[in-house]
Amino acid sequence: MNNTEIEILLVEDNMNDAELTMRALSKSKYSNKLVHVKDGALAIDFLFGKGIYAERNTSNRPKLILLDLKMPKMDGIEVLTLIKADERTKKIPVVMLTSSKENPDIERSYALGANSYIVKPVEFDGFIKAVSEIGSYWLSYNQYPI
Amino acid sequence: MKPQTHKDSRTDELVIANKHLAFQYEERQKRATELIIANKELVAQNEEKEKWAAELSIANIELAYQNKEKEKRAAELSIAIKELALQNKEKEKRAEELIIANKELAYQNEIKEKRAAELVIANIELAYQNEEKGKRADELIIANRELLYQNVEKEKRANELVIANMELIYQNKEKENRAEELVIANREVIERTMQLELANKELESFSYSVSHDLRAPLRAVGGYARMLEEDYDALFDDEGKRLLGEVQQNAKKMGILIDDLLSFSRLGRKEIKKTNVDMNALTANMLLEIGQSISHHAQIKFSNLLPLRADHTLMERVMTNLLSNAIKYSSKEETPVISIASKKEDRQIIYSITDNGVGFDMQFGHKLFGVFQRLHSTEEFQGTGVGLAIVQRIIHKHEGRIWAEGKERQGATFFFSMPTNE
Repeated sequence: MNNTEIEILLVEDNMNDAELTMRALSKSKYSNKLVHVKDGALAIDFLFGKGIYAERNTSNRPKLILLDLKMPKMDGIEVLTLIKADERTKKIPVVMLTSSKENPDIERSYALGANSYIVKPVEFDGFIKAVSEIGSYWLSYNQYPI
Repeated sequence: MKPQTHKDSRTDELVIANKHLAFQYEERQKRATELIIANKELVAQNEEKEKWAAELSIANIELAYQNKEKEKRAAELSIAIKELALQNKEKEKRAEELIIANKELAYQNEIKEKRAAELVIANIELAYQNEEKGKRADELIIANRELLYQNVEKEKRANELVIANMELIYQNKEKENRAEELVIANREVIERTMQLELANKELESFSYSVSHDLRAPLRAVGGYARMLEEDYDALFDDEGKRLLGEVQQNAKKMGILIDDLLSFSRLGRKEIKKTNVDMNALTANMLLEIGQSISHHAQIKFSNLLPLRADHTLMERVMTNLLSNAIKYSSKEETPVISIASKKEDRQIIYSITDNGVGFDMQFGHKLFGVFQRLHSTEEFQGTGVGLAIVQRIIHKHEGRIWAEGKERQGATFFFSMPTNE
């Protein structure tokens, strides 16, 4: 895993949503380059090589982070704050994935530097379509500075 | 007898002198008779004079007496004269004093004359002033009458004011009472508002939870059913596939319900931003959008809709909802016709959307705008029963009114009125 190129980091506490997301992405070419962590704290450990990820080569950074907003321990907003505050990670596009349409979340996310904010469609087809389009947009069409 | 100067004439003269002597004799005779008579007369007179002398002697005695009396009197007079002389001197002194006094009086008189002249002038002046004062007095009399009249009027007015004042005092007391009541009522209102605000916040966090926590499991239900369908399709017979389809359809329906409910609750918190809204352009746009998602054959008529001041986005929702409903409920007619109109009435603009569709029973008209209230089954017409509740909430937020008129199978008209700024 250390040397494997990482395309997507999925931060999602809901295993069902994670499975649906991975299933949607499995239909694209990036599916086997995805890492799923179950909460915010683990996402930070993964990105900065701490805790169980202490051995990981942190220069191998994901090209896209899909970040759930509402999570135990450390929520999406906190994770986003840390990512955007660190030189090593601030350029990685972060897409907020959430069930909430509530305005304060959207405003705060954009204020903190989120690149996109997606409300997960309840309906399966819509959800699959949204996730795969996010993947192809950020990984194929979008041009990185790196 | 005259001496003779000439001898010739001596004879003549002697004859004449003779004649003359004869005459003188005669005369002397006569004269002697007369003297006898006169003598006799003188004797008589003498006698008379003797008598008179006797009387005179008596009178003399009398006179002597009188003389003595007169001497006495003279002595008395001498004394009296002396007295008079003294008195005379006194009178002279007095006269001198009087002269001085006279002079003084003459001077004073002069002064008084001057003064009198001045007084005459002053008098004239006073007479003039008097006249003026007379005039003024007349004017004052008139003015006085006027004042008297006014006084009476003012007394009347004062009496009226006293009555009015009493009335005001009474009203004031009433108002004070009312104010106290209002203060109490106000406190209650403030308390109630605080409670409502609290309840609102609770509702907000509730809807937030609903949006987060209900959507995720629902997504899972639909998602896993879909995965089952995709991965194990071959293992299901027709009945199995139907049942799986029901699971997916209901999950979808519940998703829409949750979304509608959320948008309804969000409206309660959303602040309206009023701009000038061109209802013709807005209606045309909304019809275009509806046409892209639903295919329909309704004939839609509108022209010259009045503009209004309202929240543009919210008015789009109102029109989308009402137009979609009109299209939906007239879709089973052979020739569905929908007409949109507007008119100005009092201080409001009234818009109406009329269709010739299934209509509704006015008996249940009040249920049209309730959340989840429906007058038709889902089999008949699709819908969650939130649309009109949302429309009503938007209209109420604009301080407008919404109502509907209809008859079963004879179409319906939805009206909404919006206040104008005039």
